[in-house]
Amino acid sequence: MTIRPLAAAALCLAALTACSTTDPDAGPGDGDGSGIRTGNGVTDSEIRIGVLTDLSGPFKAGAAVQVQEKKAYWAARSAQGGICDRKITMDVRDHGYNPQRAVSLYRSMAPDVVALQQVLGSPAVAAVLPLAEKDDLYVGGMGWASVALEYQVAQIPGTTYSIESANAVDYLVDTLKVPAGSTIGHVYFEGDFGGDSLAGAEHAAAARGLKIHPIKITPQDSDMSAQAAALERAGVKGVILGASPSQLSSLASVLASNGVDVPLIGNTPTFSPALLNTPAREGLLKNFYTVTSVAPYNGEGAAVKTAAEMFEKNAPDGTKGWEVPLAYGQSELLAEALEKACENGDLTPKGVVAAMHETSGLDTQGLFSGTLDYTKPGEPPTRKVFVSRADPEAPGGLKVLDTIEGPSALSYKFE
Amino acid sequence: MSYLLTQLVNGVSLGLVLGLIAVGFVVVFKSTGVLNFAHGSVLLLGAYLVARLHPELGFWGALAAGVAGAALVAALINTLLVRRVAEHDPGVLAILTIGVDILLLTELTRQIGNDVLDIGAPWGASVVGAAGVSLPASRAIAAGTAVVLFAALGALAARTDWGLAMRAAAADPDTASLMGIRLSRTSAVGWGLAGALAAVAGVFLTSYPTPGVEPGVSVVAFAAIPAWVLGGFDSVPGAVAGGLVIGVAQALAIGYESELHFLGGGFGEVVPYAVMVLVLLLRPHGLFGQKEAIRV
Repeated sequence: MTIRPLAAAALCLAALTACSTTDPDAGPGDGDGSGIRTGNGVTDSEIRIGVLTDLSGPFKAGAAVQVQEKKAYWAARSAQGGICDRKITMDVRDHGYNPQRAVSLYRSMAPDVVALQQVLGSPAVAAVLPLAEKDDLYVGGMGWASVALEYQVAQIPGTTYSIESANAVDYLVDTLKVPAGSTIGHVYFEGDFGGDSLAGAEHAAAARGLKIHPIKITPQDSDMSAQAAALERAGVKGVILGASPSQLSSLASVLASNGVDVPLIGNTPTFSPALLNTPAREGLLKNFYTVTSVAPYNGEGAAVKTAAEMFEKNAPDGTKGWEVPLAYGQSELLAEALEKACENGDLTPKGVVAAMHETSGLDTQGLFSGTLDYTKPGEPPTRKVFVSRADPEAPGGLKVLDTIEGPSALSYKFE
Repeated sequence: MSYLLTQLVNGVSLGLVLGLIAVGFVVVFKSTGVLNFAHGSVLLLGAYLVARLHPELGFWGALAAGVAGAALVAALINTLLVRRVAEHDPGVLAILTIGVDILLLTELTRQIGNDVLDIGAPWGASVVGAAGVSLPASRAIAAGTAVVLFAALGALAARTDWGLAMRAAAADPDTASLMGIRLSRTSAVGWGLAGALAAVAGVFLTSYPTPGVEPGVSVVAFAAIPAWVLGGFDSVPGAVAGGLVIGVAQALAIGYESELHFLGGGFGEVVPYAVMVLVLLLRPHGLFGQKEAIRV
């Protein structure tokens, strides 16, 4: 007797879910008569985009800077008439660096947005990207790990950590004149970030006749004394760092006080201007370089200056760092995709992803190194990087020295 | 040879700082039977106070304020929370301290943000060296301070009334209470002392060669847990010895990683736990732990 009502209930539920499964790409349609197909997150007057970030966990300060800049960007863009005659609104959610929370937030916001402008934090990215891939939902601003290239929906904001590191090795050899046969150290976090950085460095070292002395660490290690002694013993002629500012600070200061005078080259996330107020200052000013595909705050390009002006107007006391041009640049990338989707007459989530892959030869006026090409799946949009140096006078603590695209960066293959 | 010595000296100095933290765990455990997982955030609080206050009070004033602040907060955790829990089950109390740790850490993370705060120590980034071995001055001072503190602690426990009361309360709280020892006072002193030691360790852990005060520092306190456990849970000398063993083992594992490559990269991270497991296999009560006597 009890089975029958249960079965009936299950049937009802099944029927209900069947009915509630709507097509994300079927929306109000061409309500304004413009013939543009719309779906989730787009109405006649509004385009809604999502940001899934960390406003209460370890990256909250940098994340808040990015959210501020993005809000300012979209407000300005909307005031200038918006995209496709629609204003752009943001749905910002805080996952607190918790991937479970990121997944439930993703589930709740995905039906209401046309694209996710950013998913911040590698655990959250790893959790969300496969879901977004299934839903054909654009994801931007997910860091620079090569793993993002495996997803059709991901628009990586610049090149990968592996290409950064390959360029770093090329720079060591070609510009800083590290002789063939030398050993260089590579201090890295295990995982999507550090592992990718190591892969690029190993490829380049083999190509340029150098040896790599790898040292694996965790984000909790903030005392690099033992690692510094090991690097000194290995006689390294340079060190590449795929880690965070804590490790850079410690390593730079220990090497400097031990009299080890070798260049230190970091991937994008290694530097923070706050480090120039720590005991590492002298060591950093003398020997630190960074390879990034997004311009530092003090970058030369016209759009970088616009980004900085916008930031200083909206957040006069905000922390100036590479997060500002990054946030502005990500907004430009998404705006480009949305504009193209509008031209194509398909402003659905799927249409935005397709439009993003039509982007090629994009000149971001100095926000990103080189022109960007998103038409080749599995390849980064550029292999160029900015090489910058620590500089106490420069706002944001970094000054661009050069833009390079080394031979090993060009020959690196993505599997 | 000088490379080996450098790594050994590094390990010993780090081990003594870990010992300071581990002794805090022991003191709390002995005085109240609690596994105090809030120790890491109390350590961070102490260092944070020093970093925030040194511009106004000078380093030494800020140090005094930081040590006092951490001691006070630790004592308050005991008085306001631990002692009020009706069920004095070690499991319940340990979970309570995990809750306190999360709350305190979240607030400190909010306060510190993306910044790295300088501790303002007068020894700065200077290095001392002899016979081809160099050591950051901060670590040399840390080692000296730790030895002095351990000696003072030993003298306090052995020669003062307070030490006697502490030992009596730890050995048999009920009888001690009947003999007129106020357990509320001995436990508050125990927690306060642990907080003060944690703050001192925090200052050294955030001095050069580490960048400064940032939220991740609280996690370093957990590196002292293997030291505490392998020392035998309730033994102050055990905690010191445990700290030394862990510090040296870790420094050597990192220093000779390229030779130890067959163990996989990053072996230094797991070494404290591997050593702990090994010691406990050989000596289930730790290096200096007391065997529990059960009379039937």
